[in-house]
Amino acid sequence: MTDAVLTRPGRSAATELVRRLPEYLLIWVPLLLSAAHLVSFALWTIWISFTPSTLVPVAGWVGLRNYTAVTASRNWQIAFDNLLLFGSAFVLLSAATGLILAILLDQRIRGENLLRSIFLYPLAVSFVVTGTVWSWLLNPGLGIQKLVHDLGWTSFKFDWLIDRDMAIWTIVIAAIWQSSGFAMALFLAGLRSVDADIIKAAQIDGAGPVRIYRRIILPSLWPITVTVVVIQLQFAISTFDLVRALTNGGPGIATQLPALVVYDLMFQRSLLGRGAAAAVLMLLILLTVLLPYAAWRYVQRRRAAHA
Amino acid sequence: MPITTTRRRLLAGSVATLALPAFARAQGAVKPRLTAISQWSAGSDGAAITALGKKFEEKGGVWQHSPVPGFTTEMMNKLRAQIMAGDPPACSQLKGPEIAAWSKIAPTVDLDGVVAAAGYEKVVAPDLARLHKPAGKWIALPLQIYSTNMLFLSKRAMDKAKADKIPVTWADFNDLAEKMKAGGVPYPIANGGTRPDDGQKFEAALAGISPTAYRAAIMNLDTKALEGPEIKAAFAQVRKISDWMDPNVGAQHFSTNLKRFVDGDMGMMIMGGWAQGVLRNAGFKFEDFMIAPGPSDNSKPVFLLNADAFIFWQRKEPDLQAGQMLMAQLVMDPAIQTMYSQITGSIPVRTDVDLSGEGWSEGQRRTAAALKDAIASNQAVLSLAHNMAQENGMTAAMIDVITEYVKNKTIKPEQAVTRLAEAVEGAR
Repeated sequence: MTDAVLTRPGRSAATELVRRLPEYLLIWVPLLLSAAHLVSFALWTIWISFTPSTLVPVAGWVGLRNYTAVTASRNWQIAFDNLLLFGSAFVLLSAATGLILAILLDQRIRGENLLRSIFLYPLAVSFVVTGTVWSWLLNPGLGIQKLVHDLGWTSFKFDWLIDRDMAIWTIVIAAIWQSSGFAMALFLAGLRSVDADIIKAAQIDGAGPVRIYRRIILPSLWPITVTVVVIQLQFAISTFDLVRALTNGGPGIATQLPALVVYDLMFQRSLLGRGAAAAVLMLLILLTVLLPYAAWRYVQRRRAAHA
Repeated sequence: MPITTTRRRLLAGSVATLALPAFARAQGAVKPRLTAISQWSAGSDGAAITALGKKFEEKGGVWQHSPVPGFTTEMMNKLRAQIMAGDPPACSQLKGPEIAAWSKIAPTVDLDGVVAAAGYEKVVAPDLARLHKPAGKWIALPLQIYSTNMLFLSKRAMDKAKADKIPVTWADFNDLAEKMKAGGVPYPIANGGTRPDDGQKFEAALAGISPTAYRAAIMNLDTKALEGPEIKAAFAQVRKISDWMDPNVGAQHFSTNLKRFVDGDMGMMIMGGWAQGVLRNAGFKFEDFMIAPGPSDNSKPVFLLNADAFIFWQRKEPDLQAGQMLMAQLVMDPAIQTMYSQITGSIPVRTDVDLSGEGWSEGQRRTAAALKDAIASNQAVLSLAHNMAQENGMTAAMIDVITEYVKNKTIKPEQAVTRLAEAVEGAR
């Protein structure tokens, strides 16, 4: 009898463990595995970036030589300039487009669900498809320019795809088409979460719709704007498939982006060390976006806790 | 019980069958087996290697080919992974100076014996042979040859220009382009705009202006030759070519505009011999176009060599070793080379194969004749654009400059010369 009494609590702890085992397995195993993958491969890449590896990884130490070679190359310089231009233009314009779409959808219009699905739909399309379709649309001999010419307006010119100076904007256009629906969805959620009582109070005080948007609704969207910008920025920095399908870095090397340079160095030129160095540089660029964001989140949370 | 007896018999029988291969191996009569990887999975390339596999099986071998479709680099990624795992294929596709580079990361098979037995060295272009024995021993075997600077002429565009003579020198070529333009051909040049395509325009220009300068500058990376007047002249010729192209070409593949080429909207194309197969596959007839060796200022054909090859990786298994020897014999066999080239549209590596027979096209005969002449006058050189002249890293650095020059018409030829020399220094 005593035996049974003593073992009962133990058994129930065991059954509790068994009962919760699937939860633990489902959460911790994938989490640890992916963390280990991410961290170990990041460390491995950093190590390779300091070695003289070419075709295959080799041990050795070359200091910063791979980094100086990459940053001195025309490809990387063009890619970096393009990233600054593409990143800022894409993030600002896609956020602005998303915000305008969200405000328009927020007017209690009919068919909102349908319109929302339509604007969100491009997000379901793979970037390779987006890039390929836009490469046809934007090709002056096949797409929009040809259509307008065939309609009779023969002096119309829209040849950014083959114009070295403007080609980067074709990537901005395609990227905005693809992801402004995502920004719209986030902003729409933000708009809907604004306290209706405040808006009613403002209406009673006699504020017009423009004023309500400017003074009440938009300021309360600030945290969502930061989220949209950060998510779009990290997408911009790692853009690869879109530009590869749309321009493949061309005309010439006018639309290179860092991710293309990494792939090119590692797998086309068989220069693993330099490719790894370029990848680490990309990671550093990402950190310049993500670290301030993390700090901002931390401060916000601290403030919320104090309040 | 009858059932039990059957089962027992069956078991005994299957054990005996299973033991058979082991028994055969012990007797020294192994069945040759070959594990191979290549990028050739579809089209005429896929058909050709499948036919080669059939021949291998006819000789009693086991053919295990795993194609990696897509770019050559994707095949290389698989090869790299297999080598690093210590399990290389018995044989893989690889070409040009990459043979030398890759042979340093894993042991290869010494093919000197089987090559000597076949008397192969005498019938292979010397520059080509050198690539396949980087350390003095044959470790790889070329399979088929293309010339990257064949000149394709649209019959209808020729009619519009009222011309019937095939241009021999670059001056002839430029005259004909002007005539085509005057005769109502909107774009006298039909090339595409991919990186190798842009590279081909430049290598065809330089080798046609001076094969000696090409050898010194591009193949030997001689600093003086890289800044020589021939390089500037070649860039100037490339500028003319790019001015005659449809500006909308962008980064299109050359095959996109083949219909406009045949229709006479575009006149001439400088492309590898493989374009013949692409034109024929697209349903166009031999009457629609002409093929000739690319322009050469000294009037003797210049041949820019591009050759596919197999490299053989060391394996311990006796059946794989036997398979490697059988494969080597097959690849060198004139009958096999004939079969292969007739499927893909290339020309055989062996210079002693007779191309007068039925299965050959006029273009292939001209290409083979050009190769013979070019070897005789030392004007057979290795293609830069198709990774035959330099390792991938160096090639890519040089093509960067060339492709930017083709697309950016504000760059002057003399600036391009400086940039090319700088790119070579940076990649050394």
